[in-house]
Amino acid sequence: MHVKMNGQTIEIFAGAKVEDVLRKYSRAEWALVRKNKKRVSDAYGHEIGLDGELNGGEEMVTETHAGAEVRS
Amino acid sequence: MKRSPSPGPALRLLFGALLVIFLLPSCASAPAAPAEAHIVIFHSNDVHGKIDNFAKVAAIIDAERKSGDDVFFFSDGDNFSGDPVIDRYDPPGEPMLELLQRLGLDALCLGNHEFDYGLGILRKFAARFPTVSANIEARPGSFPELRPWVVLKARGGIRIVVFGLIQVEPNGLPSTLPEKVKDLRFSEPLGKALELKSLRSRGEVFIGLVHIGYEQDRLLAQKIPELDVIVGGHSHTRVDPAEIVNGVLVAQAGSDNLYLGRIDLVVRNGRVVEKKGRLIDLSQAREEDPGIKALIAKFHQNPALARVIARAPLEISGKNALGSLMTDAMRRAHGLDIAFQNNGGIRLTRLPLAITLKDVYTLDPFGNPIVQLVMTPAEIRSLIRSSCEKRTDIDLQVSGMSYIVRADSAHRIQEIVLRNPDGSPLAEDRTYKVGMSSYIASFYKFAHQDPGRSLQTTTVDDLISYLESGVDLSVYRDVRRAFWEEAATAARN
Repeated sequence: MHVKMNGQTIEIFAGAKVEDVLRKYSRAEWALVRKNKKRVSDAYGHEIGLDGELNGGEEMVTETHAGAEVRS
Repeated sequence: MKRSPSPGPALRLLFGALLVIFLLPSCASAPAAPAEAHIVIFHSNDVHGKIDNFAKVAAIIDAERKSGDDVFFFSDGDNFSGDPVIDRYDPPGEPMLELLQRLGLDALCLGNHEFDYGLGILRKFAARFPTVSANIEARPGSFPELRPWVVLKARGGIRIVVFGLIQVEPNGLPSTLPEKVKDLRFSEPLGKALELKSLRSRGEVFIGLVHIGYEQDRLLAQKIPELDVIVGGHSHTRVDPAEIVNGVLVAQAGSDNLYLGRIDLVVRNGRVVEKKGRLIDLSQAREEDPGIKALIAKFHQNPALARVIARAPLEISGKNALGSLMTDAMRRAHGLDIAFQNNGGIRLTRLPLAITLKDVYTLDPFGNPIVQLVMTPAEIRSLIRSSCEKRTDIDLQVSGMSYIVRADSAHRIQEIVLRNPDGSPLAEDRTYKVGMSSYIASFYKFAHQDPGRSLQTTTVDDLISYLESGVDLSVYRDVRRAFWEEAATAARN
């Protein structure tokens, strides 16, 4: 299936979760989310869990928690 | 709260006919709704076996009930799968059943993971709580407890109509093992929902309690503006505050029992005139129900985890032996040609002679699903090359083949030789069904035409089944299937 992460189309196995897409998109971004320095949100700005189940065509973004300073 | 279950399939036609006959008298005799009523609906979704915060949930709901409001508690599915305390209880899921019952659950929408323990266990749940899903059709007699919708009675005769929907993959099934749902047929949820619009007339409050993901929740709101509220699940979305979409309040409470959703409705003159929703962050809640807390502590002492599931004639130790065991389990469970396991996912150095469930969960604690890809030998080499990217040693253990990575004295890979178990080379002109964890499938950078698909079981589940099957564990004494050879090493050999 195809989903979008930060505007980039990711082709990934059917049944993938948010975490799988994030790992495939960027190991560095995955590490930041795991350290709670960033979060994953859907196209409407709502935070979604790393175990969140996906349908094809969904769009997500990684974003900094409000007020958090990120050094990568 | 009084519950008025919706009719089973066999009775629906008869009910329809009777409805025509009794509709007017029934309406005339219904108790008059109060001029204004305040209804509170608490909701959770995708708990996935995380029971610890239920003591706080109980305290919050109980306090609200004591305040005099009309209070309901809904579960939006996927209560199972994610914690061995629940998943490996005897019988599976029993702690969740007991806790939800103590919390006074008023309605349960089935999620895809409700089927993970099989229909027999699920029916026990459905017998205790009104369980709804309108886009599931069961073979006659196989799931009589399931209802497409239910009517809950609030004070003053206010009727809350609640229907359920479950997500369906392009293959026509929800995301679970196909064998778990073989007696059931599933229809596309949004299409089915359109048939439910007329339920609006059966109550003063009209709710979709659906497990289809937030994106689909919004589409549902566009298709059925007659709804007052959609309570969602599946996508683990933290919707705070709940959103109004096309006039419908859309709510979802994240996952893992970290939040409890709260919806407040004001019903005036037979219709909802005010609605809002927010999440309660359970990490900030202080009050706990002591009885529920004690129950949770008891469940955590799950004796099943100490159960010996296999006895080995020798300690199975080291990455090679343990990885071979894990990949053999994966390969056999799904009829794969080849399976891979990364060394980083092997979290024990040895298994004891008497192997318990707890040992297996310590060995493989990640709960990663297995992904199948159809791969050529060239793609398999690409995967192995990727695994050695920053190492000068083997990273992937394997079943169904063996391999040698040949590198020069500067650790640069020169050749990867793939062999069948009998020592012959893999056929370069065919493809192989290859299994690996979702971690490998998504983290490793390798060439593959087939994007793959989740097989809907986890590596640890397959390992437990393999060990419980009584397999001969003596074969793991000196097993090794993956080799790293550098120029100097090769010269010595």
